[in-house]
Amino acid sequence: MGAVRGCNIPEDLSYNVDNNVWARREADGTVTVGLTAYACSLAGEIVAYTPKKAGKDIAKDKSCATVESGKWVGPVKTPVSGAVIAVNDAVASKPGLINKDPYGEGWVVKMKASDWDGESKSLKTGGDALKAFDAKMEAEGFKGC
Amino acid sequence: MMPQWRLLDTGLRSAAENMALDRTLLESAQAGACNTLRFLRFRPSALIGFHQSPSQELHLEYCREQGIDVSRRITGGGALYCDEGQIGWELFLDRRTFDTADMLAIAGRVCDMAVQGLRRLGIDAAFRPRNDIEVAGRKIGGTGGAFDGEALLYQGTVLVDFDVERMLKVLRIPREKLADKAIASARERITTLNELAGGRIPLEAVQEALTEAFGEGFGVEFRRQELTIGEQELFARYRLEMASQAWVYETDRPQLDVATGSALRKTAGGLVRAMLLVDRPRERIKQAFITGDFFVNPKRAIVDLEAALRDCSCERLPEIVEEFFARHPAQMLLLTPADITAVIGEALARANAVAS
Repeated sequence: MGAVRGCNIPEDLSYNVDNNVWARREADGTVTVGLTAYACSLAGEIVAYTPKKAGKDIAKDKSCATVESGKWVGPVKTPVSGAVIAVNDAVASKPGLINKDPYGEGWVVKMKASDWDGESKSLKTGGDALKAFDAKMEAEGFKGC
Repeated sequence: MMPQWRLLDTGLRSAAENMALDRTLLESAQAGACNTLRFLRFRPSALIGFHQSPSQELHLEYCREQGIDVSRRITGGGALYCDEGQIGWELFLDRRTFDTADMLAIAGRVCDMAVQGLRRLGIDAAFRPRNDIEVAGRKIGGTGGAFDGEALLYQGTVLVDFDVERMLKVLRIPREKLADKAIASARERITTLNELAGGRIPLEAVQEALTEAFGEGFGVEFRRQELTIGEQELFARYRLEMASQAWVYETDRPQLDVATGSALRKTAGGLVRAMLLVDRPRERIKQAFITGDFFVNPKRAIVDLEAALRDCSCERLPEIVEEFFARHPAQMLLLTPADITAVIGEALARANAVAS
């Protein structure tokens, strides 16, 4: 299991490092999207979650959900284009699940990706992702999770 | 030469126009516009936070009767009432202006500057985490933010003058249950510049003090400018969109999700009464009011505790009360933090037991 400065960054996921989000292609071909542990650490406890509705098409790097922490509202930007096929009801009732388990129960949306093979090439994974997160944390003066 | 940032004063406007300007300027900041300080004022308006529900937060009927605008912000935080007596300030910034990406730290930094602005007016203001600006425990302004990509919007209000009675009619706080003296109780928790100064402080003086404080805090000079042509076009579009029912009611949820519960206990240290507003599906304390005839010094400890409990998850109640008194020791004679937790816990249990 990968980690950068104490933040868990699983090496098997695909990341858009700038937007601090991950994507995972599931066995059935759908894609799960979530926030990274680093994003959660910067945000603090997430207290509200409004996902885009199931069925909605969203372009890569556009908002698939809005979250709130410490009175800040911000988007979760999907790393790949596609249609939302599921939102997380457990997170809707307990948004803090995103902080507790960002790569598991705290997933943000599930999508039917329109071009996973093409778009996922621009995402970082494995050691490249760890390096890119370390550089981002350095630039952002981040001490650690 | 110091870097120059833009100063915008968009004057007195409707809620929808102000919300549309927020969205316009945040989008413009994301497209690389110059960092901007905006001052704004409101016609009588009830504003809810981005994730809030109008039916749960506001007495909509009263707002309609009184011609009070109702809108939803793009920023977080709670519902508020504002009118011509308050000044809004907003910063639209590139996130990299700060040497940290920690959102709480950024909010704290901006609030500290706003506090310096009020101090220039001779007001002994302080920042109360997470988002209040207070004077001797009484709130004089609230703040909240939004971000998108590398652009940040952080905003706050300064109560120059304030109509507490009207606020109590607009916001759905259980005033009748809180205490017989709801207005007096609200006044203990809120103050204004005019009240503190014992006279009228001109709005221009407040804006000038804040401008100087933000200028000093960021090491920049402000130059008064207008919206760009591109911003005017965006604004024309968003002012319609954000005046629509679709925008305001997008997050509406049933009023029944929010329950109130109260408890009263005679403790060795005196009578303690707790009244809670609880968001049950989300298992969160929305607001807590604690009153009674117990002794506490400093007096503000109780309102500060109320602030610490705002929006906290129900299961963390004992922990938050304990942490609060560890950080802010208070003399309470025979009353203990555990007593307070017990009374609040009882109120919470009652709120959860209300049939929905």
